[in-house]
Amino acid sequence: MITIALSKGRIFEETLPLLAAAGITPAEDPEASRKLIIGTNRDDVRLIIVRASDVPTYVEYGAADLGVAGRDVLIEHGGAGLYQPLDLEIAKCRLMVATRNGFDYDGAVRQGARLKIATKYVQQAREHFAAKGVHVDVIKLYGSMELAPLVGLADAIVDLVSTGGTLKANDLVAVEHIRDISSRLVVNQAALKLKEERIQPMLDAFAGAIGSGAIGQ
Amino acid sequence: MRNWILPEHISDVLPREARQVETMRRGMLDLFGRYGYELVMPPLVEYVESLFLLDDPALNLKTFKFVDELTGRQMGLRADITPQVARIDAHILNRKGVTRLCYAGSVVNTRPDGIQSTREPRQIGAEIYGSADVAADVEIIELLFACLGMAGLDNICLDIGHIGLFHALADAAALHGEARDQAFSALQQKDVPTLHALTADLPADLAGGLRALPSLYGGAETLARARAALPQLPGVIDALDALQALATALAARQISVRFDLAEVKSSDYHTGLVFAAYTTGFANALARGGRYDRVGEKFGRARAATGFSLDVRALTRLPFPDAAPGILAPAGDDPRLIAAIRALRAQGETVVVDLGIVAGEVRVDRQLVDGKDGWLVVAFDGKA
Repeated sequence: MITIALSKGRIFEETLPLLAAAGITPAEDPEASRKLIIGTNRDDVRLIIVRASDVPTYVEYGAADLGVAGRDVLIEHGGAGLYQPLDLEIAKCRLMVATRNGFDYDGAVRQGARLKIATKYVQQAREHFAAKGVHVDVIKLYGSMELAPLVGLADAIVDLVSTGGTLKANDLVAVEHIRDISSRLVVNQAALKLKEERIQPMLDAFAGAIGSGAIGQ
Repeated sequence: MRNWILPEHISDVLPREARQVETMRRGMLDLFGRYGYELVMPPLVEYVESLFLLDDPALNLKTFKFVDELTGRQMGLRADITPQVARIDAHILNRKGVTRLCYAGSVVNTRPDGIQSTREPRQIGAEIYGSADVAADVEIIELLFACLGMAGLDNICLDIGHIGLFHALADAAALHGEARDQAFSALQQKDVPTLHALTADLPADLAGGLRALPSLYGGAETLARARAALPQLPGVIDALDALQALATALAARQISVRFDLAEVKSSDYHTGLVFAAYTTGFANALARGGRYDRVGEKFGRARAATGFSLDVRALTRLPFPDAAPGILAPAGDDPRLIAAIRALRAQGETVVVDLGIVAGEVRVDRQLVDGKDGWLVVAFDGKA
């Protein structure tokens, strides 16, 4: 049995064509079903539906053989103990610093004063500001980051920006680009060794479907 | 107060599991003995300078440290026994020829290797010093298979790689410091996109070689693919030849191997051939090992070295038979009873004196009764 960990929503939707390239069709739509384990047209392949930030954990410990996880999530997780051979080029967005419209970000950063940063991406926020030589106090939030600068909880936020619609609606502006994000295929290390004859064809099919000649034999 | 709660990833080993751990430990040490390995018992604590071989940031981070009140120097609780054994070979024994050493003991890690790992593995291993020949690596791997076979595992997947490949390419590309660390870490994760970015400015053959490493895994055909894909540097050719020689020698022993030329996840001290054993049902490698020829330098004497180690506690997830049932004996001071119990125990029987109902794992299926001609062993009547 090959188990693939996916998160609901955008990643699931954009992974479907890749699964199709490997001859895998989910038996149910996770948005419609409450099931967490979803069968496929193949007896030897099943999907598990987990939170995006939990995908690396499930794969690292072999609860899933494969998974699809955003680069943002992988960097926070650390990635140790996982293989991440393919950039699937799906669920693309940008990790950015955003502030209230009118906030003097360049001034705040140049002064070397401490900034309060609200984010879900603690590691990446720390690294980004450390590389700039700026001291920050990081406030870990789990959602609705955009609120933090508006109510004075933080000077700036570090968050994923896709269309910029949420920022605009809350009168925030993106002031700095940290990195481009897309989703990676992650593979359990032992699974690649022990189930190579079943996993390798999937990797090849995924690689072919995204048109990048990354891993393959 | 919840003062019976142990720290995270620290646990007691309770009777059933303890019997399994200890049975396997003894069996493995006996096996090592039959191959001519001498047992050593390095200390639990020593000065941190000697606990690491070369610069080993990963091991350093895993080591609990404290100050020695006698000298004011920093001491560490060992997180790996291999460096200690290398120190014993290099400086304490100071022999000229081939030395085979083995060990078994607890190590303590500041962080667990994973959420399913303990912070106190029971490490057991065997090392050969003074032989650079591939025959030494073959013996080590044969011994590892014997150990795992004894633990009841026969479907082992042995992954072999060679760290020399990465070092030859990175040296030729003049990758040093942080750039080298980043490339090494990307290689460990088969992170091809990052490896592409990191090697963007390198000469085409070296960049191509580094980028090819993550996909060079699989069966026997892997080496041929590697010879075609990697630049013909002396270090690369030596490493591929060594892998070929090892695979050929192991095939003669019915040990089949799998190659993973990006398999560099071992300890920082490894320098050449590296290997890891995997089996179904375990998300992490069961055992790891390889060559660490340069480590003697730190102790003033470079010696060829190869070996493996494994955590016996990780093997407790495997099935293990119940202990053989014993004999229940009444409590009493009858000299004939005392003599009968001693005689049975001398024969290797488990004799449990009846002090009340026996709780726990120990079971009895016979009992001692006072017959006309002395004490007799009869079937247990169930009335303890």
